[in-house]
Amino acid sequence: MSAERYNRQIILKGFGEEAQQLLLRAKVLVIGAGGLGCPALQYLAAAGIGHIGIVDDDAIALSNLHRQILFTTADIGKLKVEVAAKRLQEMNTQIGIIRHPIRLQKNNILDIISRYDYILDGTDNFESRYLINDACALLNKPLIFAAVSGFEGQLAIFNTPDHLMPSTNYRDLFPIPPDKGEIPNCAENGVIGVLPGILGTMAAAETIKLIARIGQPLTNKILSYNLLTQEQYTIGISRGEGYTLPKTVDEFLNMNYQDTNEKPQSYIEIDANELVKLQQLESVILIDVRERHEVPVLDKQIFTQVPMSEFGAFMTKEFYQKHVVLICQHGIRSVAAAEAMQEKYGDAKKIYSLKGGIVKWRDHFLRS
Amino acid sequence: MKIEMISFGKIAEFISNQNIDVDGIADTDAFKQYLENQFPALKSMKYKLALNKNIVQENTTINNNATIAIMPPFSGG
Repeated sequence: MSAERYNRQIILKGFGEEAQQLLLRAKVLVIGAGGLGCPALQYLAAAGIGHIGIVDDDAIALSNLHRQILFTTADIGKLKVEVAAKRLQEMNTQIGIIRHPIRLQKNNILDIISRYDYILDGTDNFESRYLINDACALLNKPLIFAAVSGFEGQLAIFNTPDHLMPSTNYRDLFPIPPDKGEIPNCAENGVIGVLPGILGTMAAAETIKLIARIGQPLTNKILSYNLLTQEQYTIGISRGEGYTLPKTVDEFLNMNYQDTNEKPQSYIEIDANELVKLQQLESVILIDVRERHEVPVLDKQIFTQVPMSEFGAFMTKEFYQKHVVLICQHGIRSVAAAEAMQEKYGDAKKIYSLKGGIVKWRDHFLRS
Repeated sequence: MKIEMISFGKIAEFISNQNIDVDGIADTDAFKQYLENQFPALKSMKYKLALNKNIVQENTTINNNATIAIMPPFSGG
């Protein structure tokens, strides 16, 4: 080991030679060499983690470059793992970098993560996150979890007991994955480059703290970070009950990670109070599906009239509103309309039907 | 009963951080019902509550001036 390379952290009070040795002996697997993985890898490599594995099966695209800061314009089209490994090795020639240019699946993940001491999850989808969580829980591997959404991030350490509590895992927070489209990903929702930069760097810091046994790592805690306000909010995690976590390799191999999204999200039945709340949303359209002769007549400024007899034609047209509230006399035709809309728009729009219809909430409609 | 509500991610788009003063919400189950009535969009989402910075794993009594956080899962990277 070149003590000179790590001099500035070795001389740091509370770190020292011993902590540096712990880093050099550690084996860390970083899953995903993207917005979170790039900065995490850079700091882990620079700090002198002895063995770093990188998992990613993706090639570099132009739209990656605003946040995946290990890559240059000339790297477009090349495998992320190859470019990242080369660059990190040039930065620190004294450590081992292992390339895993594959997509982790049930049948290969246990073999790969069993070769490492610490796993850092920097992936970008729920399938991978649940797969990685369950594999780490099964093999008892400390898991450093970082994720972003909009201008916010989450950071946590799972499968690591502390002096207060046995270890917790991601399913103690969210027992089952969200439906497809419930939580948009970065490709759909957008992301500002510096946010995964911050979260990835924080994940590297937590990894270093765990390995070097310094400070208070986020074990059994989840930190929420807000870029726009620079606020952080930390929540203690305790063990939940009644969820499925595979306890054996056989159980793990029988889990279903791919098709967690097969059940389409369904429309929601609401009451008049909920209708009032929805009316205040920005992107909402209220549709009265009764025929034109029916009474009471509702305010056409508020309720767009699309009789069921014209509903099929209406559905062929595009409309921009995200929330669609359907109303009829008794809440029966509006359910049929909601089902048709759900089938067409799936998760792209949120569909609501007023339960019981105008008759049930007569007072509400007469008032307004 | 005064409760401070803090929300995150997609949930913060329709539930802003706010202080509410409501009667009849004695525990976290009742609070959940109140939330889903007020904000029907929540019904179809996965989320977790934290009462005074601790994850709610079972129905828990809410005391006056409690802080409740509403957190969805994130997966982006």
